[in-house]
Amino acid sequence: MRIAAGRRRARRGLNLTPMIDVVLLLLVFFMMVSRFGGTQGLPLAIGQGTGAWVGPPRLVEVGQDGLRLNGVAVAPEDLVAALRPLLDQGDTVVLRPRDGADVQRVVAVMDSLRAAGMTRLVLVE
Amino acid sequence: MRLAPQPKGRRAESLLPMIDVVFFLIIFFMMVSHFAAPEPFVVARPASTGTEAVAGEMSVFLKADGTVAALSGGAVFTGDAALSGLVADRQARCGADCDSPPLLLVHADAEAPAAALAGLLPRLAAAGFADIRLVTVRE
Repeated sequence: MRIAAGRRRARRGLNLTPMIDVVLLLLVFFMMVSRFGGTQGLPLAIGQGTGAWVGPPRLVEVGQDGLRLNGVAVAPEDLVAALRPLLDQGDTVVLRPRDGADVQRVVAVMDSLRAAGMTRLVLVE
Repeated sequence: MRLAPQPKGRRAESLLPMIDVVFFLIIFFMMVSHFAAPEPFVVARPASTGTEAVAGEMSVFLKADGTVAALSGGAVFTGDAALSGLVADRQARCGADCDSPPLLLVHADAEAPAAALAGLLPRLAAAGFADIRLVTVRE
């Protein structure tokens, strides 16, 4: 084994390598734990005591594979058109999940209704 | 054009610019990060097209099998205890009878039965939560 003879010349500055290691670890940590894009959400109305029901019934039963409007099966693309004559601006539409429909399915129906301007949606059991 | 000859003798590139940039990145990530309490279980949030930004401090979780859970004071409450845990948490935040109850975020799994979500809503309303949002992800 050979040991370098004599002292090496004095370094001009501090040895920055350990600090850079730590700083990079911190950087990786914050990159990993950060979550970007704020939380997104849909308002969920509560169907309780918001005045008397006005107008014809508007009950959409959401099954995993099909939709029923007031008990009559309706194709998903026809739902908005079928609901239109039943409600004025701002009227409530009641959604009831059926047959083990999952949350994603109900959210998809809510999306299509909200896109058509029907924003007062009540989810009931 | 004659280029100046490369100065010899610098053994290493100067690291200072890189350290500057890395510090800026660290400060950026520290600023944009917020540390949320760990979720009681993994929730795959439903995708939605018509979402709006929501911000809330209180959360209730709905697992794919329909289990309800809530975090309160660092502990996880499941089932019926979740609601009492939520109420205790709300009281810790704004007193026994607060005029403006805080926004409640529902983290429901996309595959959870929607009937469980629908059944949860009136119980949350009875517990005093008026503004409830379902957390979704952008499609």
